[in-house]
Amino acid sequence: MLVALGLVLASASVAPASAQGTAVLPIADAKARRAVEREIASAEAKGLPTQPLVAKAMEGVAKQATGERIRVAVAEQAKRLEQARILLAPSPSVAELTSGADALAVGVPGPMLKQIRAAWPATQSVVMPLDVLTELVARNVPAKHALEQITQLMARGATPSQIASIGASVQSDVAAGLAPDAALEVRARGVMSLLPSPAAAAALAPSGRRP
Amino acid sequence: MIDERDLLIERVRTTLRGSPDAAADARAVARVLTTVWASPRPSLWRRALDAWRMPVVSGLGAAAVAGLALLAGFVTRGTVGERTPEAPLAATGPATGEFPVQYAAATTGEVAAVPTQFVFDGDAKESVALVGDFNGWRPDATPLTRLENGLWTVTAPLPPGRHVYAFMIDGTLVVADPRAPRAGDADYGREGSVVMVFAR
Repeated sequence: MLVALGLVLASASVAPASAQGTAVLPIADAKARRAVEREIASAEAKGLPTQPLVAKAMEGVAKQATGERIRVAVAEQAKRLEQARILLAPSPSVAELTSGADALAVGVPGPMLKQIRAAWPATQSVVMPLDVLTELVARNVPAKHALEQITQLMARGATPSQIASIGASVQSDVAAGLAPDAALEVRARGVMSLLPSPAAAAALAPSGRRP
Repeated sequence: MIDERDLLIERVRTTLRGSPDAAADARAVARVLTTVWASPRPSLWRRALDAWRMPVVSGLGAAAVAGLALLAGFVTRGTVGERTPEAPLAATGPATGEFPVQYAAATTGEVAAVPTQFVFDGDAKESVALVGDFNGWRPDATPLTRLENGLWTVTAPLPPGRHVYAFMIDGTLVVADPRAPRAGDADYGREGSVVMVFAR
């Protein structure tokens, strides 16, 4: 029995204490801090990850936002996480939820998250396609055009790095003065030229791809 | 693991052993059962201790708890202890200016992290820290090192993807990276910078 209890205690010590806890939120105003903690606890009760919410609160602290503004930002982030969880069903990871919430924050329409999820096998993370979509929309590429290009690349078997390279290249092109839409068009063509033909890509597609 | 009904039966049996004249009488058994059932229930702790005293239960229970403990240990090692992309980066020591700066747990749950260098060449008296979604916006997580030429720099392993960040100057002022594209901020109205990280 002692051995068993010892094992229980030993295994419990492996887990970091309060990894997602809010106890360390350095918000000076105690009332505001409690309000933020309530928002986070409420989200946790809904089964949402608290880490992105704590990070959102910490961002507010770093940017010297008022306690009320931090509370509102955390509540908004919780809503976006909840929406992303539905759109990226059935079992999105925390990273995918965070990327989904970020996409919604920059104005990516919700149904597009669903389309991104459907374009890849359920076992494959959609963090990168979502992040690139977010970045393109943030650079004023029309969301519909960005989605088309990304899903086309996904269907052709582009790797996450290849998809990411488009986001980075368009970023540079736009900074250099190229129109966002034109930048995406030319960069997507560049990556597309490296990929196998649509027929070959279909033959090589991993099993489990959703229709 | 510990069946309450078994404990009840055990208590009835103990009670009956103490009153042999009641054993043959069904009504007496019923009375005993009723009495036992109506008597205050021992605490959970007490019941657990009682259960351990029963040889069969204690043997099975110990094995079960040991198994669960090992399982919990493996599970927590495999998932809880693993750093997710949103978890703060944990530096093994202060940045030294040598590259790449080594951090603990340089991989994420999904893809290996990519060492990414940040450079700040603005004015800072005492310190510059990298804050962003990858380190939970914690100013103590990723300090930059001042080089002899006056530049501040750090190389941090970031999970592939899009990251929003800023520099915190002297522990208070948050500024965007002038070398990187800007990232809007609808929540706080303070622009940051954005970096796309991917394995090249």
